[in-house]
Order: sequence, then C-alpha cells, then structure tokens
Amino acid sequence: MSDAAALPVREPLILGDKSLAEVTGDICRPLDARPTALWWAGFLASLALLGLGVAAVSYQIAVGIGVWGLNRTVGWAFDITNFVFWIGIGHAGTLISAILFLFRQRWRTSVNRAAEAMTLFAVMCAGLFPVIHMGRPWLAFWMFPYPNTRGSLWINFRSPLVWDFFAISTYFTISLVFWYVGLLPDLATVRDRTRRGFRRRILEWLSLGWNGSYRTWLRYEIVYVLLAGLATPLVVSVHTIVSWDFATSVIPGWHATIFPPYFVAGAIFSGMAMVLTLMLVARSTMGLQHYITGRHVDVMCKLVIFTSGIVAFAYATEFFMALYSANQYEQFVFRNRALGPFAWAYWTMVGCNVLVPQLLWFRRVRANLGLVFVLSLAVNVGMWFERFVIIVTSLHRDYLPSSWAGYAPTSIEVATLAGSFGLFFTCFLLFCRFVPVIAMAEIKSVVGTPARPGKDL
Amino acid sequence: MSRRYWKSIEERDGGEDWLPADRDEFPEPLAVLPDAPGTLGRRGFLKAAGFGLAGTLAAGCQRGPVSKAIPFLNQPEEVMPGRATWYATTCGACSAACGLLVKNRDGRPIKLEGNPQHPLSRGGLCAVGQASLLGLYDRWRHRGPLKRGQPASWADVDADIVSALAAIRHRGGALRLLTGTIVSPTLSATIGRFMATFPNARHVVYDAISSSAILDAHERTHGRRALPRYHFGQAAVIAGVDADFLGTWISPVEFTRGYRDGRSLEGNPPRCSYHAQFESGLTITGTKADWRTRIAPGEEGPVLTQLAARVARRAGLAWPAGDVGMPPVPGAPLDDLAGRLWAARGASLVVSGCQDVAVQVICNFVNHLLGNYGRTIDINRPSYQRGGCDAALGELAAELAAGAVDGLLVAAANPAYDLPADLDFATLARRVDLLVSFAGSPDETAALAGYVCPDHHYLEAWSDAEPAAGCASITQPVLAPIGGTRAIVESLARWMDDARPAYELVRAHWESALFPRRIPVEPFETFWDTAVHDGAVELQVAPRESAASGTSAPLPDPVAAGAAPPEGALSLVLYPSVGQLDGRHAHNPWLQELPDPITKVTWDNCASLSPDAAASLGVREGDVVRIETGGPSPAAAALELPVYIQPGQHDRAVAIPLGYGRASTERFTRAGPHWLESQPGVGPNGLVGINAAPLIVFEGGTLRYGGRAVRIAPTGRRIELATTQRHHSIIEPRQVSSAGSRPIVREMPVSALSAQQPPPGATREGRGLWPDDHPYSGRRWGLIIDLNACTGCSACVVACQVENNIPVVGRDEVRRQREMHWLRIDRYFTDADESVDVVHQPMLCQHCANAPCETVCPVLATVHSADGLNQQVYNRCVGTRYCANNCPYKVRRFNWFTYARADAVENLVLNPDVTVRTRGVMEKCSLCAQRLLEARISARARGEPARDTDVRTACEQSCPAGAIVLGDLNDPASRVAALAKDPRYFQVLEDLNVRPGVGYLAVVRNRDADPGKAGHV
Amino acid sequence: MSSRLVTVVLLVGLSYNLLAVAPRIANWRLPGDHTDYEPAQPVAFSHRVHAGELQVACLYCHFGAERSRHAGIPPLNVCMNCHRFVTAPIGAVRAEDVLAVKENRRPLRIVSPEIAKIYRALGLGDNLAPDPARTPEPVAWITVHNLPDFVYFDHRPHVAAAVTCQTCHGPVETMERVRQVQALTMGWCVNCHRDATRRGVADRSANASIDCVSCHF
Repeated sequence: MSDAAALPVREPLILGDKSLAEVTGDICRPLDARPTALWWAGFLASLALLGLGVAAVSYQIAVGIGVWGLNRTVGWAFDITNFVFWIGIGHAGTLISAILFLFRQRWRTSVNRAAEAMTLFAVMCAGLFPVIHMGRPWLAFWMFPYPNTRGSLWINFRSPLVWDFFAISTYFTISLVFWYVGLLPDLATVRDRTRRGFRRRILEWLSLGWNGSYRTWLRYEIVYVLLAGLATPLVVSVHTIVSWDFATSVIPGWHATIFPPYFVAGAIFSGMAMVLTLMLVARSTMGLQHYITGRHVDVMCKLVIFTSGIVAFAYATEFFMALYSANQYEQFVFRNRALGPFAWAYWTMVGCNVLVPQLLWFRRVRANLGLVFVLSLAVNVGMWFERFVIIVTSLHRDYLPSSWAGYAPTSIEVATLAGSFGLFFTCFLLFCRFVPVIAMAEIKSVVGTPARPGKDL
Repeated sequence: MSRRYWKSIEERDGGEDWLPADRDEFPEPLAVLPDAPGTLGRRGFLKAAGFGLAGTLAAGCQRGPVSKAIPFLNQPEEVMPGRATWYATTCGACSAACGLLVKNRDGRPIKLEGNPQHPLSRGGLCAVGQASLLGLYDRWRHRGPLKRGQPASWADVDADIVSALAAIRHRGGALRLLTGTIVSPTLSATIGRFMATFPNARHVVYDAISSSAILDAHERTHGRRALPRYHFGQAAVIAGVDADFLGTWISPVEFTRGYRDGRSLEGNPPRCSYHAQFESGLTITGTKADWRTRIAPGEEGPVLTQLAARVARRAGLAWPAGDVGMPPVPGAPLDDLAGRLWAARGASLVVSGCQDVAVQVICNFVNHLLGNYGRTIDINRPSYQRGGCDAALGELAAELAAGAVDGLLVAAANPAYDLPADLDFATLARRVDLLVSFAGSPDETAALAGYVCPDHHYLEAWSDAEPAAGCASITQPVLAPIGGTRAIVESLARWMDDARPAYELVRAHWESALFPRRIPVEPFETFWDTAVHDGAVELQVAPRESAASGTSAPLPDPVAAGAAPPEGALSLVLYPSVGQLDGRHAHNPWLQELPDPITKVTWDNCASLSPDAAASLGVREGDVVRIETGGPSPAAAALELPVYIQPGQHDRAVAIPLGYGRASTERFTRAGPHWLESQPGVGPNGLVGINAAPLIVFEGGTLRYGGRAVRIAPTGRRIELATTQRHHSIIEPRQVSSAGSRPIVREMPVSALSAQQPPPGATREGRGLWPDDHPYSGRRWGLIIDLNACTGCSACVVACQVENNIPVVGRDEVRRQREMHWLRIDRYFTDADESVDVVHQPMLCQHCANAPCETVCPVLATVHSADGLNQQVYNRCVGTRYCANNCPYKVRRFNWFTYARADAVENLVLNPDVTVRTRGVMEKCSLCAQRLLEARISARARGEPARDTDVRTACEQSCPAGAIVLGDLNDPASRVAALAKDPRYFQVLEDLNVRPGVGYLAVVRNRDADPGKAGHV
Repeated sequence: MSSRLVTVVLLVGLSYNLLAVAPRIANWRLPGDHTDYEPAQPVAFSHRVHAGELQVACLYCHFGAERSRHAGIPPLNVCMNCHRFVTAPIGAVRAEDVLAVKENRRPLRIVSPEIAKIYRALGLGDNLAPDPARTPEPVAWITVHNLPDFVYFDHRPHVAAAVTCQTCHGPVETMERVRQVQALTMGWCVNCHRDATRRGVADRSANASIDCVSCHF
C-alpha cells in the first residue's frame, strides 16, 4: 500500500485513550476483587445445571442407553447433535486466534483470549458425547490403538469415528497449548501484581519464569506464530472430519459431498455467534466497554452474516442436488425434511440461520448491542437445530418404509444437554474469575494506535 | 608486657578456657520438631503411600473367579455334553398335531423343528408350534393337583374324586366330560372306557375356534359327521369364502404346504393355481389371493349361492329354482371364477369357514357338482383335527342351566374363557357339585374347579395322535416332568383302578388298536420302534361306504342375504389371530411379542376398521372406541378397544382378534425393562388385550363368529398401539408414491414367467470399478426367499427368536420401536383401491458384500467372513450404533437395556450355542452361524466334504411353505445358484450396489398381464 | 520411633506381597493371560502316572474331544473301568499280602486315600458295591483351561486335523497336577491358525479359518 498515508485514519481499537497501567488495572480488576453477586448467581446456576447433567449421565450409564428416546431406526439424535454443536462452537476461538492473527486482524486482540477459552470448554463438552453415547462407555479405550492380547486385532482405520477421535484430540491439544502460550505474558503480569503467597507460587510456576526480556519476547513471538500456523489447518480439518461421519455413509441426506465446507462454515457461523453472546455479556458485566467496542461487535456481525450466507447456500445446494441427481431417496428425504413430521425443526433452523441474520445487513441493527445479543442467541439455537435436522430427519425415514420411525427426546436427554451447558458456563465463569479475559500484552500493542489492516508492528 | 583487660570476674578468674566444654556454642537449640507420636507425618505418609503402591501393584494381578466342572457320575450312553440329541414327537400346541423333531441339549429341549417325515406337516412348523416350547419352562404352571385352590397330594385328590365319581355312578347321576378336540386315539379310547363305567355319562367336544358347521353339513349331505381332508396341493382353482386356511383354519401348516405345491413356479411350465378369496376382514390367506373380494360379514351364503348357481348352470342343473337376488359381489368376475372352477372340475376346491350349516351345505353342493369329492376333498380318510359339535355344547349348557349335571370334567379346553356370554358357562359351572379341571396351567376354568388335576406339558408326556385317518404319530416325552403333574390318560385310568403309566397305556392301545391297521406285516416291536423313531406311521383306513353321491342328496336351499344391520351399525368379525389362536398360549411372551402378520400389532388386540369406516366414524388409529352389541344378551354389553385402520377390510365390518384378555397375562405387568419413563406391559385392564369371546353368538346350533350387529362410539381416550411397522408410512399418499417406486418388492403376472428374458442374476456379480474386497474363492453363503411362497405366517420369526436367544422386550419397548427380532416380516400394501394387494417380505441381515456397516465400525466389531457372512462380534462391540444408522435395511438391533433374564426356569430354554448378548451391544442375523459351523465341523469329523445341503437355518427349517433356501452361491449345483438365475430373482435396493448375499424371488399373481401391477411396487 | 514402626510393618507387608506373587511378578503378563494357572484339585489325580507312565491315551478318558465341542472331564464310571480293580499302588497291595501271609489271614483290601474319594463320590460301600446309606456326590473339579463365555471353542476340528493335545495343553503327561501352559488368548489362537494354514498341521495342509464366526457367535 504505497498510498497508505492517504487513507483516512480510523478511530482507535481501544477507546478512552488508556495508559498501559490503566489497561492492566482494568483487565486485572476482576481477578483482584471479590466476585460479584452476579458472578455468584451465574456460577451457582451453571453448577446446578452441571449437577443435573452429571446425574442424568450417571443414570444413563447405570441403566442403559435405552433411557434415551432412540430406537432401532434413529440410532443417533441428541447425543451426536450436541457433539457436533459443541465442536462447531469450538471453532471461532482458533479461527480468531490463528487465522485472524496470521491475517493481522488486530481487532482480534480484544476477543481472542476469551474466544480461545470458549473453544477449549466447548471441545471439552463435545468430547463428552462420543464417549457417553456408546452402549458400553467403559470400553471407550478400545478406540485407542494399543497393544493387546487379541493378535492382530486393531482398530478400524476406515471408520470416520476413529478419524474423529484423532482429529478432536489433536484439536484440543493444539488449542490448549496455543491458549496457554498466549497466556504467558499476562500470567507474568498478574504474577508481578500479586503479593507473595500461594497464589503467587502458582502463578510463578505457570508463567514459566517469564521475565519480559527481549529474548523472551522474541521466543514468544516465534512460538506464537508457529502455533498459529499449526492451528490454522485444524480449523478446517476438524469439522471436515466431523462432517465425514455423515458424508461417508449411505444414508440419503447424509451422503453429500458438500458437507465439509458446509460444516466448516456452519461451525464458524455458530462459533462467532457464541463469541458475540459471551462478549456482550462480559463487556457489560465486567466493564470492558472500552476494550470490546462497537467495532468489534460490528466486525463479528459481518463475519456472522457472511457465514450465514454460506450456510444458506449449502441448504439450497442440498435441495438442488436432490432435484438434479434425480435420486428418489434424496428427493424424498429433503421433501420429508421440509414437509415431514420434523418440518418444525427444519423451519426453525432456516429461520434462525438464514432469515434472522439478514437483519445484520443494517448498520443500525449491528450497532444495537441488545438486538445483536438476541440475534446471536437465535443463531445458536438455529445451529443446534441444523445438526438435529441433519441427523434425525435423515435417519427416521430412510430406504425401507417398513422401518420408518419417529423420535422424541426423553427427560434424560434434555437433562444431558442442559448439563453440557452447565459444564461450559461453569468453566467459563471460573475462567473469567482467575484469568485475564483479554490479552493484555497484545492489547497494549494496539493501545492508541489506529487500527489499520496490514499496518506492520 | 601487655596488660590484660577483662570484661567479667569469671573471665578474669577463669582464665582463657572459661567456657565450659559441656556448654555448646549456640545456647538456643535448633527448632527441629519431631513428629508428634501417633500421627503420621509427611515422610511417614509418603513412605506408606510408596509401600502401599508397591504392594498393590504386586498383588494386583489377580485371576478370574474359579470355575468348576462337575462331570457325570455314570454318563448315559446317548448323552454327550455339548452334543444335541433329536427326538421325534408330535406337536400339542393345537389340534392340528404336526410332526416335531425336538432338539435336546444336555438333557433339556431347546428347539422344536418340523418333522420332514410327517405326512401332514412335512417339515413345516407354525409360529405357535415353535413358541410352545416356552410353555414347558413356564414358571406359572401348576406344580401339582389343587383341591379348592389349595395344593394337595395326588392320593388325597384321587380319593376325593373317586369317591365322588362312585357316588355319581351309584345314583346314576349325570357325568359330563367337556373337552376340546382330542386327536389322541389312546386318550379317546381311555375316555370311552371311562365313560362306559357310568350309566349317564357323555363326552362333549367343542372347539373354541369351531368348524362344527362343516361336520354338520357333511352329516346332512354325506351321512357322516366328519371333517374331510382338503388337498390344496391338487387344486388348480381354489375359492375360499371366509376361510383363513393359510393362517389359522384347521391345519394351516399342512394347507400352506399343499397350497405352495400348487403354486410352485420352478417347474416348466410353471404350475400356478388360481385362488379367489371372499372375506370381510383381511387375512393372510386373502393377501395371497389372485382375486380377493371384500364381502360384508354374513354375505358368505349369498356369495356361495351365486357361485353354486353359476356352476350348476354349467353342470346343466336347474338350480336354484328362480332368482336368488342380486349378487353382493360383481357378477362378471364371479362368472369367470365359476368358469375356471368348472374348467378345473375335479381339480378345484371351494372351502368356507362359515359357521352356518346351510351355507356349508351349499359349499358341499358346489364341490360335489365340481366332482371334487374323492379328489381334492377326501371324506373317506377324514381329518380329526376339528371334532367339535356345537349342538352338543348347547345341550350341555341347557343341562347345566337346569342343574341336571352332577359332575363335570373339563380337559384341553377353557370354556369359562372362550365361550360366548350367551352360554354364560362361568356361572353355570358353579352349580355343578364336582367340577374337575385338567388344565396344566392356571386358567379361568381351573379357577372355578373344585379339583385341578394338572396335565403334563405335551413335551413331558407319553401320548399319540391321529390328526387324519391313517396317519398316526407318537408323542414321546423329551424330559422328565418339571412339576408334579400327571397325564390325563393316567388320571382317568387311575380313577378306573388302572395304575398303568401313560407309556404302557399308549403302547397297549397301539398294540391292540393301531398295529392291526399296519399294512406291511411286521412284528409289533419293529412297528413301535419305527413309530417312535420316525414320529409318524401310515395306517390303513377301514373303507366305509359313504353317501358320496350328492345327487342322491337333496338339492340344498339357496341362502339369501341376511337382514342388513340397522343403520349406522357395523357387523362384527371375530377371528383367531395367527399368534394367539383361541388364547391358549396367551401366557407365551414370544407369541405376545410376535407382530400380527396383517396388523403388525403386538401385545394387544384392537378393533380393525376400514379407512372409510373409520373416516365416517371420525376415529383415528389408537382411539379407544366402545363396541356395543344391541340385542337382549346383557352379559356381552360392550368392549372398549383401540381402533386400528385396516386397508382391504369391508366397510361394514369391524374385526376383532380372539384370544386376548386371558387372566394369565397379568404376569406381563412388569414385562420389559424398568426405568424412569417406562410404561406397564399390560393394558388398562391389567391384562394383555380384551377378551372378545363373549361377543360370539350361539345360534342355530353353532358358534357364529361373524355377522353380529354392533354400534361403535368413540370414548375420547387414546392408546398408542405397539406396532412394529408404523402405519402412517402406508397411509400418507405422498409417502406411498415415493416409497412405491423403490426397488423393494417386485411383482409380475404369471404370463411374464413364460417370456424368457435374460436372468438379471447373470450380470449381477463382477460389476463395479474397483476389484472386489471379497473374492469368495471357496464358498459363499446365500439365502434366497421366495416372496410368492411366503404367506407371512411368521413361523420364521419365532423360530429365529428361539434359535438365537433373542430377548422379549415387552410392550413399552415395542411401542418405542425397539423390538429385537432379527428376522422381521415387512408388509407392503401395493394397491390403494378398497381391496388391496399385500406383499409379505421377510427382512433380515442381507449379508452385503459391500456392507455399509462394516466400514463405519470403529472397533472392527462387524467384519466380513471369507464365506460371505457379515459377522457381528458382540464381545468386541462398544455400541456406537453407527452400523445400524448406516444399514439401508435397518436390520440391526441394539440392546438398549439388560433385558430380563431373571426367570431361572425360563432360562433353561436358552440355546447354549449362541451368546446371550449384554446391554449396549449391537446384534443381528448371523445366518445361524452356529449351525453353519456345526455342519462344517461334523462333516469334517465324518471325513466328508461339507455340503450346503447339510445345514438349514432356523427360519428355513421352520417355513411351512419352504420359501427360504440357504445354500452356496458359488456351487453351480446348489439350489440357490439355480434360483439366482430365475427370472423372478431380484435384490432389495439393488441400486445401492451393496451386493447383498440375500436375494428374493418376485411375487407372482395369477392374473392377466397388467402394467399397473407388474414391475416394482 | 513410631515412624520406624510404620516402616517395619510396611516392609513386612511388602515383602509378603512380593513373596506371595513373586512367580507372577517374574514373568509379567497382560491382563487376561492366565498362563501357569495350576489349581489344587479335589482329587490329586496325576496325569504323569496315567498319561505318562501308564501310557493311557488322552482320548480314552477325554473321549468327548472327538465327538463333542467339549473334551469333557471323564465321568467316574470311566475311572471305575480300572479302579474297580486297582484300589491302591501295587507296592502297598504287595506289602499287605506279605503281611497277611505272615499273620496267615486273608489280605485286606488296601484303598489309597485318593482312590477312596472316587468310591465315596460314587456312594460305594467297602465291598465296592453301591451302598444305599451313602449318597453319590459328584466330584467338582476346578477347570484349568478357561475361555470366556463368548468364545466357542470346539475340540472336534482340532482333533480331526491331528492337532496334538500337547499343542494347547502342554506336556500334560509330565504334570503331576495340570498347569495351563499356553496363554490361550485370542492372539495365540489366531497366530496358530495362521501358521496352520500356511504350513499345515502334521504334514497335512490345513484350512484354519480366522473368521470371527469361527469362535464368536
């Protein structure tokens, strides 16, 4: 950009021209202060949900999968729906921290920390379901390739579930490391602010003896870039592989080549929505208005509407392919999706994922944070239903009409879903309490500087 | 000299070494606190932890529990642990008395199979017969005699009864023995002897599912009250009027086998009889008909009259004099049928299940005109499978009402349950002083009886049977009686001071009565041994002249249509369901869970209505309706039953299966798994279904099951029926159109058979871009199912369940669509007009070469075998259910719970050769892998090459129609290889290229080519 | 000093553990592998004597191996084929004879305690005739070679293919008390089947299937 100077200077990323000390103070305040009543309320509520989920899952493992509403025709429903849903949520984090980092999208600095934390917790929730959905979860370790007394009996490397297993564990590991490395300077900051004591001991241990020396920073930057590079392909690969669970099957409505891009876009879509949801809450409750500004919301809204477009296109393509392939099973499945017993779910999905986001075309809507919050919630709901629709409506009426069946969730399944939210929010609230929710070290690099894409450091 | 400075007296006096040696340099001690005694400090803790860890690691590797092996003290010659022994005997599940081979393993029977050498059943066995094995291990059976409901000793009971009988005998009181049809010659003879000792005794026989009218009619027309034997195999044209001869009528297995012989299409030219069926409800016989017509209940008479009139005209006989009114069915096809019948004179057959003697007389008249007697109908060698005389039953009821009966013995019947409310047996029986029941397990009649002298289960007893004249078979026990029961013959003999055991009674009777009728002269020992070994022997029948010449018989009177039911009323059809018959096996969970072949309803009975009738009443499936009979009888006030919408049923008919609402079904309240949202296993009345028998009409000396006028009113309540095949998949027209074009079942007119098109089987193998995963260098197992032969009788379903330890899941689980049957029978309605066509399709694991399930299992729990089996390894399965999702045929079954195996007695029926699956594991048809392996091993042990003819799967063995064929597809000589080249051969969902190892043969309707019906449906 | 006490106690415990399980520690195995299992049996039956010294064929007692899935533990009437006459080691019998001659009386029947267990089990009296007073009580042997319930092993094809008993059961004819020699794990079975198909058994080509349904159904 030769004529960079000619460009109008945009308003800064961080408002209320903060000094570096103020930044540290603002962000570390919740760590020092006693938790507010609001935090306690949220925390206890989440804990209650978590307890409910634990009870439901223990009951299910003790009694049998039969306590779910599944049947001989519909073998997956809430379990895998929740799994894909959470995996999807888990995508925004890495996207923001890795891809946007590589693209030098500097607005990311305000949200990447929280987004990455969200990713970790979401993947934890997701990882739960493949295990508990097994008929004999105590044998889940059979998914590992390990030496055994069964001769050459190995695992089935042709099975997408095995691919899933590797993809998700990899993704979790990388995300964790990435998040932790990004956390190092801030941990050091908090360490230095903390008086000697148990907490300081922990922080010393965690911050790996960080001394803000030039060498440390250099190493840090290199590692961070490398990890970003490593994480980037995972953003695409994980959900691609998850989509293969369905794409490689023979069931009409699952067996579609469009699934990988479709799922990845959907994942980013839902992830962004969830980031919005959390950020808007954190912003108002933790007084971070100056760090998470309208611009951040605006940018994320644009991402949401973009991915919404991709998802909508995928929906349309599925129908077109069904029509164009002249495959009667495909055609029936999609007609059944839109008009069959689960039409309500389908239209909820379309409404939340395609129609509602269209409002974000308007600047005034994007500026109205309350409205954006509601929209983001709608998108989350819609994306959950997308997975539900894909899984259940494809299964419940497939090839042989004699085996067609219905599906209705039991109380246990609902409780399990609620429990996964409980786990997620419990973790997230603890995160808000004990870790700087915004990457101080990075934000300091943009304090006062006009954000311009491509502007070198 | 330097002067010395001192700072203290001690220093000055003490000199240099003023510091005492015992004082240590640092006055204050180092604060090193020892562990307080008794507490375990950090080091102590670590130490303990370390040792503990090492110890547990060392002791960690423990062995499994010690298992013991207890051998025989003296091992019997024929018993070999782990090896099955087979005994020939006779089925006692109903009065048809088919031949059985009982598989005995380690001293207990675990499987019943049809006896191929039996002249009637010829190797087939029905669902009820298959399931009757479980009755043997029924924990609720009587364990010994009861005296006024209390357990008593045989001596005690015998003493009482003998004295009571003596009193009756002495004062010439009336003794009545009420039984179902007795096919055992020995028992009949013993009964005769017993009755002869009383001045006033009579033996009354009735059938809960009565065919009395047929016998009465033959008494009129042929001067002999007998049930003829019908030879469907020799009939080229069959007309059935309200006779479900493939399902429940008289001797279904025998008839199915014959019917299939008449429609065997392998031959060239193919042999295919023409079958016309007139019926009100939809029966499996109707589903096989080439021309099926719905008639209202009570129209059998007019229809047969019309038919008779048309046949008579062709016979040049002026009958009937004058007009008999408009036909209730279209005249043209009726003409056509009469023409076909006439053309096939002597090789045609008209049967009717109607209980109106006048109608049966016309039926005989038609058959006589057609010259069927002596050819397709054998009156000289009659059948003894239905001997009931309803008129005698009526007389008995009158006697009971008059209090003229002093002693009543009830055997092999449950009159308190299955008789109409008009007769009101329960109240009448209470007036009898001496009421003795021989019921082996608690039933409604035994509950009234003062004495219960329980009979054996038929697998425990020595007995015999002569189901048809000249065909006698032995019933030999296959294990010692489990309880303290006693055979009826023994009881009766004992009361005649004859202490011989049943074995000697049977043997003596055979020596005296049956042996002389043996044609090849041989010593009795040989004869007896043959009978016991083969299970059945052919005997001579004393030729007796019967007035077979109908011309001498007076011309029958035509029967006009009865009075139409009042406006808004429907007329009732009570029918025995294939699984329950008259309810004698209601305690059998296998049969309760067996889906009805037509309605697919389990664990309940329902009132079937035609779609139009339901629409006019404004009721939907599952709505509970109140069925009120008008008329005087107060007892049969009303039933409340859920509605079932039945295409193909007559709009004026409401069909209700009998055999439900047995008191013995109380036990199923807690059937199935129990959890947070589980529902009871029985209906609101605490029983499985409702007893419809009270609605039977006793009229004109016969029990009438059809034609009673009823009014139907919705109650507003709903019941979700436990159906295994969701009905909406057929009702919703949009679904049908889409499902209709799917390559699932195939039909073709018989004319298309002669046209030699290239067999589709030829090009089937060896297609595809990629080389085959499985070369099948040796054998490839294949199964071929002839949809044309299959009647949907569901014998295979139960056979599979018995063979493979498939659990019963209970009503609630079926309602949740979690039935476990490996082999199900899909039922498709192929036509939307009011008389539908139905195709039955046994659906089981297709053992695909490119199996979708195999690629997706993460732990290799389902893989392919070298000889074409799709193997499911239960102990490797972790239960992701991915394979079931990915199965296009949805034949995989998942163990959602640990299904009840609590009943220690019932567990004796489990097949030790098949794993009992645990919770959380997928299972499916293994093509009876245990049988395939057994055949291979025993062949190898014999040193012969294993042939595919050595082995038959459980479903194949049981099929009365021989519709299922297992074999080696790679062996050109095998039967399956030949059938795979048949023009009728097709594979379900062939376009998916999963390349199933299971194939099907298309349904053939004996119709003129009709594009609407041909091709896929 | 209390801690020292603890140490001593723990040491004793650990040493006991180590001694008790030393053999198992010595050759570490994966779970499910019960090699070297050698339980004490209710009757001290010596395969060394019968199969080794006396050269009784395996199939004489375990006749089930040819005809059934289970080789089976012989019913006691098989034992009685010999032990109706053989009641004690020949040495003991001779000694009694000598003694009887010396005391010129008829020799008593000498019954060795282990063989007496057979007679007791069969409910036989002193004259080896059934004694109504005694109730027969079958011997509850402890199975050495255990397979899980979901494994269906069949002896017949192995005997038919001339696989020697020792291949799986080890040199039983040398064992005083039967010991499990082979691992009997699935891997062991499958590898043997592979070798058999590759090399044949007893110089004859064999077709040992490694399909799952050969053992699991």
